[in-house]
Amino acid sequence: MLSSTLIVGLVLGGTYALLALGLTIQYGVARIMNLAYGELVIAGAFFTMLMVTQAGLNPLVALILALPLGYGFSWLLYTVVLHPLARRSKSQGQLEVDSILVTFGLLFLMQGLYQVNFGGNFQGYQWLQNPVNILGTKIAGGRVIGLVFAVLIGALLYLAMIKTRWGVNMRAVASRPQFAALVGIDMRKEARMAFATGGALAAAGGAILSMYQTFTAVDGTFLTMKALVIVIMGGVGNLIGALLSGIIIGLVEAGVSVAIDPGLTLAATYAIFLVVLLWRPRGLFST
Amino acid sequence: MFDARNISLRYGKHLAVDDVSISVGEGECVVILGANGAGKSSLLRGISRMAPIDPAGRITLRGADLGAVPAHRIVEEGIALVPEGRGVFTEMTVEDNLWLGSNPKRARADNETRRGEILALFPRLAERRKQRVGTMSGGEQQMVAIARALMSNPDLLFLDEPSLGLAPIVVKELFATLTRIKESGVSMLLVEQNVTSSLALADRGYVLEAGRITSEGTARELSSSSVVMEAFLGH
Repeated sequence: MLSSTLIVGLVLGGTYALLALGLTIQYGVARIMNLAYGELVIAGAFFTMLMVTQAGLNPLVALILALPLGYGFSWLLYTVVLHPLARRSKSQGQLEVDSILVTFGLLFLMQGLYQVNFGGNFQGYQWLQNPVNILGTKIAGGRVIGLVFAVLIGALLYLAMIKTRWGVNMRAVASRPQFAALVGIDMRKEARMAFATGGALAAAGGAILSMYQTFTAVDGTFLTMKALVIVIMGGVGNLIGALLSGIIIGLVEAGVSVAIDPGLTLAATYAIFLVVLLWRPRGLFST
Repeated sequence: MFDARNISLRYGKHLAVDDVSISVGEGECVVILGANGAGKSSLLRGISRMAPIDPAGRITLRGADLGAVPAHRIVEEGIALVPEGRGVFTEMTVEDNLWLGSNPKRARADNETRRGEILALFPRLAERRKQRVGTMSGGEQQMVAIARALMSNPDLLFLDEPSLGLAPIVVKELFATLTRIKESGVSMLLVEQNVTSSLALADRGYVLEAGRITSEGTARELSSSSVVMEAFLGH
């Protein structure tokens, strides 16, 4: 039982880590606290479901398609809605308040659209339900593939952040935005690109999530909350922190669900969050 | 090569820089001297487009008007700023900071050669390429800031009080390095309170008092002038 909990926890944790990476990039670089983040995750899940059930595509193909679509949608969203806010805001605090209000509204708009089109029921599709045997534990094939892709995308992003000019520029803006101009970085372009990259990760996370679990039109709220908890646990803008915290939360949820009660997973997440806030408010991995 | 005419800059109602004109010739090193609060840093921020100046001001580099160029494009035009407080990315490594310095397109072509030359100029940084800048001493951080600016392949280097807060022995080392950079042909505009060292380095200088230029001349003239010492002491 322990090993099956561990594997289920890792699958969940891998997906959460990917989701948290996207949110931490959006917040850390573009300075937008995007409360509608989970809605884009759910958009990725709906998109994948439609591609599988209507177009007969493999979910992995849908995942590949979800990345550029999530990027493009978020790019547009930033350009049309959020950039004007960023331009007129006089301070970081004002941009945060404005972006929270705007994305909070966007959350309801998107949830409403999902409910009108899909209703409030559980959604999903059947894919690779046959169990595979890992270390003596039987686990659905879809889950394993989901984990592999979450880890793959997360690892690629991490490498890009460390090894490419694109990533180094992004990290520079996240750590000291006021010095970006000194090294020729256009903050506006950088913020838009970061916001779009976060959107791509959200959509990919949704596609992966749909591979192994059902979802509803309103699940985005919980996903945003969880991603936010993970981001704060890891330290805002800290990529490795987000990855590790995501995996910790996944393991804890799986553990609590098996050992105590599945209804307590969310409560357990917030209990950890409270402890982190009290004990290390700048994140578990802050230096 | 660089010309700034009728530069004024205000913070609310306070006029920090009042109708100042300065120029830097090709390969020349020019110093702006003045006491604390004389407006030196404001002037440097204004002419590097990091702070807004009054519309009457004109800034040109080799004849090209920089008036409408946004702050992040200035380094692409050939002016690299080493700001007060250094402006380095302390959470990142020396290597990352240097890499960021080579962001402008003008720096891309012979990036690797230049990096080699710069690391030869700052051997201590070569040893500490993987170290996080925040864990280094003030003098070393200043070296990172200057090295990063040089990575952009600048025609003109702006330095805002590079010796501020450094121990005398480190200041000596810093000015020795600046002399070598000057010899390599990069033009320099330096804001300093360290009169002796900066006049030894500079070809020419201006004295700024309460936002206005009160005297100017060659480094030799300024060194022998009593006005300079008075301005520096803020009398």
